[in-house]
Amino acid sequence: MSATSPSILQALSPSDTEDVAQRRALLAEIDASCRGTLMLFFGAALVWLLIGTVFALIASWKMHSPDFLADIPWLTFGRVRPAHLNAVVFGFASEAAIAVTLWLICRLCRAPLMHGWVVNIAGVFWNIGVAIGIGGILAGHSTAIEWLEIPGYATPLLFVSYALIAIWGIITFRFRREKHLYVSQWYLLAALFWFPWLYSAAQILLIMEPVRGVVQATVNWWFAHNVLGLWFTPIGIGAIYYFIPKVLGIPVYKYSLSVIGFWSLALFYNWNGMHHLVGGPLPAWLITVSIVASVMMTIPVVTVGLNHHFTMWGSFHKLKDSPVLRFMVFGGMSYTVTSLHGVLLALRSVSEVTHFTHSTIAHAHQGMYAFFTMVMFGAIYYIVPRIIQVEWPSARLISIHFWASAIGIMLYIVPLIIGGTLQGVAMINPDVPFLDPNKYSVVTMTVPYLRVRSVSGFIILVGHLAFATSFIWIVARWIKAARQHQPTPIVSNV
Amino acid sequence: MNYGPIIFLGVFLTIASSWIGLVLIPQVQFGRQQEVKIEETGEIYPTVRPGLAQQGMEIYKANGCIYCHSQQVRPEGYGADIARNWGQRRTVSRDYLHDNPVMLGTMRTGPDLSNIGVRQTSVLWHLQHLYNPQITSKGSIMPPFRFLFEKRKAGDKPSPDALALPKEFAPEPGSEIVPKPEARALVQYLLSLKANAPLPEAR
Amino acid sequence: MTVVWILFVSSVIVLPAAALLALRWAVRHGEFKNLQKTALSIFDEEEPVGRMTDRFPGPQRSSKSSQP
Repeated sequence: MSATSPSILQALSPSDTEDVAQRRALLAEIDASCRGTLMLFFGAALVWLLIGTVFALIASWKMHSPDFLADIPWLTFGRVRPAHLNAVVFGFASEAAIAVTLWLICRLCRAPLMHGWVVNIAGVFWNIGVAIGIGGILAGHSTAIEWLEIPGYATPLLFVSYALIAIWGIITFRFRREKHLYVSQWYLLAALFWFPWLYSAAQILLIMEPVRGVVQATVNWWFAHNVLGLWFTPIGIGAIYYFIPKVLGIPVYKYSLSVIGFWSLALFYNWNGMHHLVGGPLPAWLITVSIVASVMMTIPVVTVGLNHHFTMWGSFHKLKDSPVLRFMVFGGMSYTVTSLHGVLLALRSVSEVTHFTHSTIAHAHQGMYAFFTMVMFGAIYYIVPRIIQVEWPSARLISIHFWASAIGIMLYIVPLIIGGTLQGVAMINPDVPFLDPNKYSVVTMTVPYLRVRSVSGFIILVGHLAFATSFIWIVARWIKAARQHQPTPIVSNV
Repeated sequence: MNYGPIIFLGVFLTIASSWIGLVLIPQVQFGRQQEVKIEETGEIYPTVRPGLAQQGMEIYKANGCIYCHSQQVRPEGYGADIARNWGQRRTVSRDYLHDNPVMLGTMRTGPDLSNIGVRQTSVLWHLQHLYNPQITSKGSIMPPFRFLFEKRKAGDKPSPDALALPKEFAPEPGSEIVPKPEARALVQYLLSLKANAPLPEAR
Repeated sequence: MTVVWILFVSSVIVLPAAALLALRWAVRHGEFKNLQKTALSIFDEEEPVGRMTDRFPGPQRSSKSSQP
């Protein structure tokens, strides 16, 4: 085997010098402290990913074949769609995000996760909360507020579990043994702090004590855009900032850029939300502020992009060898593309066309899937073998997962952005009828693009099934190894 | 940048700023907006929805109508909302005073519904459209909401509640389709959607 | 109502002032010095700069290896 790229187990095996052995032991201790908790979160995230994918396929199919499963009330489009969103956002993405965040905090602080059982309990209740919430949506109890559909009786459970998890993350941070605060930590700690503020403010002002009139819309989009901008985005960027340099063994290109990137994101992203309401019944200043802030987002996007891509520069041939790198680089590139596309969509003249069309949906998936989800997949492929000390069973399954996800999501985004833009062009032209089965009309022209979307959904499902197979397989090997009491090569004698 | 508290302070300040700017200030500006008396008609606008329409809103919420239908009319010259007859004027914040939740929507897979109660005034049209959109809007991709209706055995003559349906959509002879209370409530809600009062600020 | 305005006006002054003070503190305490050094904090003797830490599982797929 070549010396430059040892297998994971080789990389984990004890070395000669005592000092290194001690460091190794510390890393092993940290990884072991996270083991149960992380596997719980990753496992649950995977289940929600599959459930969310199935909901997505049902919803997508219904959009071009409205008679499909039409007589089951709880599977009507308007319920399956929010069920999909909440399953993937609060089930899959948030749980993967929490697990990756906890592991990164432990690693970067060089401190083990103490009393992981507290996080485990929080995790169990989080999952119960999401399950009750999605059940409620399917039963017709949705709040009909986008990104906050989970009915009020499930959200306190979510909030309390989340608070426990975040407090645990911060406690771990307080007990850090590493003096340097690496850039990933800024992003992760900020996200841990931002999310509860967003979530509790939105819950109180929209569901418990609703504000009056259109202020609801501003609170709604302040929340919904910030869930992306201040929860998922920082965790995704923070993960890339760790994994690309770590996998390559090359430090970040210009660390000083990351300071600019972080603070400009913190400053501008949270003002973006109102660009979802361009042309709406709100004061012009509010929307203008958001458009300006959206344009300012080019600063963090470009600095982060420069850092990620220049760290990668000259190492593209290594993509062949490392599955983690593939997912991370795909995610990083998608982040740059989707953010610049987002800047464009926020402009008044562009929004006139693309607002209210499928191109917004495509954009959302570009951010949540092509960027964030791919980064989470990469992180899971890196973390799991280290915490349970079992190698992934099949390189082929990982390859299938990567290619199916990558091709599937591109087949989703590109046609739907084109279709959505054409839909918008038709919509602002009053000479094109809105619905006419025999002519080019706003409704009927979208149908071919919606069919392509369903096809892409099946390809993505294949990827997710490959991922699930890998995961179940590695867990089975782990259980088998544990049953045989095989002492793992690392934790043995320190 | 190795000092945690400074990072926390910055992180706190940035979100506090947008919370003040995008949540608190709009609340100060709009939170206390009141009804007005329309000069032309002498009526108070907007009025609270009657009970049945309010129940219909719950059906609208529960079945996620918002994911395909917006409730906002963009101003003249920005989009073709007015040219498409989705409203005589743009909608303004006062139109939504009594809506809870405010369902502006972000998607127009189907048409805007701000003024559906002005455009389609027939209860029969709405019931048929909900039962199967193909009856009234051929080529539509809206799902049928047949679960808001029930199939009953017909008596000797059709009951007064039964839904009149064109032949190709009618159930087999001997049975009839009757809207459930949910369907009737939803139609009342749709009929109540009228953002056409001549407000001074919307001119 | 007045409470809200007091809150609003004070925050318009207090927030930027706090931000500026924090920035001044950070610059004076050398928070922005030696940044590049922190970039190395994720590496150690065990996983040093220059070593890749991830690859596909199983036997090496690329054929450049010099196996006997």
